[in-house]
Amino acid sequence: MQRVVIVGSGDGGTFTANLLASELRDEIHGGLASVQLVGEHLHHPFQPGNLDIAFKGASPDKYVKEETELLRKDVEFIQDPAVKIDFKAKSVSTKSGRTLTYDFLVIATGAVPDPSKVPGLAQGALNFHTGGKDSQRIWESLQTFDGGTVIVAIAGTPHKCPPSPNEAAFMLDEFFQKRGIRDKVKIKFLTPYPRPYPAEKISKVVEPMFQEKGIEVSTFFNVDSVDPAERKIYSLEGEAFHYDLLIAIPPHHGADVIIDSGIGDQEGYVPTDKGMMKVQGQVGVYAIGDATNIPVSKSGVVAHLQSVVVAHNIVAEMQQSSDMLEYNGRINCPMEVGARKAIFVSATYSSPPVDQTPSTIKYFMKRSFAMIYWRALNGSLERMFDLFFGQTRFPVKDKPEPQKQVVEVKAALGEKKVA
Amino acid sequence: MATVEQHKVIDSRGSFCPGPITDLFKAYRSSQLGDIIELLATDPAAKADVTAWAQKSGNELVDIIDEQDYTRIVVKITKKRS
Repeated sequence: MQRVVIVGSGDGGTFTANLLASELRDEIHGGLASVQLVGEHLHHPFQPGNLDIAFKGASPDKYVKEETELLRKDVEFIQDPAVKIDFKAKSVSTKSGRTLTYDFLVIATGAVPDPSKVPGLAQGALNFHTGGKDSQRIWESLQTFDGGTVIVAIAGTPHKCPPSPNEAAFMLDEFFQKRGIRDKVKIKFLTPYPRPYPAEKISKVVEPMFQEKGIEVSTFFNVDSVDPAERKIYSLEGEAFHYDLLIAIPPHHGADVIIDSGIGDQEGYVPTDKGMMKVQGQVGVYAIGDATNIPVSKSGVVAHLQSVVVAHNIVAEMQQSSDMLEYNGRINCPMEVGARKAIFVSATYSSPPVDQTPSTIKYFMKRSFAMIYWRALNGSLERMFDLFFGQTRFPVKDKPEPQKQVVEVKAALGEKKVA
Repeated sequence: MATVEQHKVIDSRGSFCPGPITDLFKAYRSSQLGDIIELLATDPAAKADVTAWAQKSGNELVDIIDEQDYTRIVVKITKKRS
């Protein structure tokens, strides 16, 4: 029996579980393999929907489904948060005291937005990264906001969905235009980066649009603290700005289970090979999505594309095949820029984002993704995604598996060869 | 009690924008006045980004040294909110 345990039931964990259940269907039915998904929450949110909740008044319920509705029937969902991962014992312990042993482990524990990491931030700022309910608080605040300074601040990097701070500023501009009070509102954008968007080509699109819409930008602003009583935000560099409404992207860190298990870096992210997605120094252990320390966007698309690679590689390892894949760093982050237009921030490890013009087609493509997201999670739309994304992975022809790993996998398989 | 000034070397080689400047900011966040941060970068944008940050923030750009395959950018922390 080959046991695959996936820790974390967000986009990456859910998708990987479904891909493996599909790939290993016969083995699972024959008692030769199992796929267990360990997650904390029964409810699975579509996180990009938080922007719509915060700035367009959508209901949080619109962007949530039960995890069990999203999983293939051959996946065993264990709703019990993981509290310890033990690489030596090849086991995962859960909060209720259960211990799951694995032959293959996928770490998909995500990143945790944590306003408490900046003094005063939790009390002084609203945010749309910690969930639908908190996003709804922004919408409620906007209803009674009659004028003054709204600040959008990036209070820590890396954070989920890199374009989302810029989108927030664009959507605020549109919201106040529609309410007819744009002239009474100053929108200010604070970023630690040298330009409004970290990638220069994308910034060349965003910067003139910010200027045209009167969105002020202050660069190199590394948030130090917030004084909620004085309504001021301070940078490490010594700048300070007054606000009437502060919307901040909180600092993020790795999941508690990673930190408590001592398997993360200083910020709790899992050191991971950026190609095959293997956890460094481990055999049969993979990590995907926001949980990794790979310098690539923390986004659902990345988790999705890495899941395909990981599911493939686990099946290859089970079959003692050298047909492994590497992820090429493809990102594709949509950014709404107002007036029903959007751009896609697309790149790979070797090719940075390129120039582009905002378009209505991209806006509707972004919007349509919210509708197909739930179906996409079960893996049935992969052909469509392959056509859209082009090459996102390539075979590892020149990098054979280390001999040690092959030997260990063979030993784990014993006489029951999964083929 | 007097604190000992630190010399930190941050290796951002192989990382592209915003990697090097983000690595510098992480070191800046945990640094004290008088500390030296040495950033190693292969991204050509790092020179301009760090120079612009030092100018705006009032920190001291000590040196930019072009090594054979990378650039060594040395910053002294002279301005930080305490």
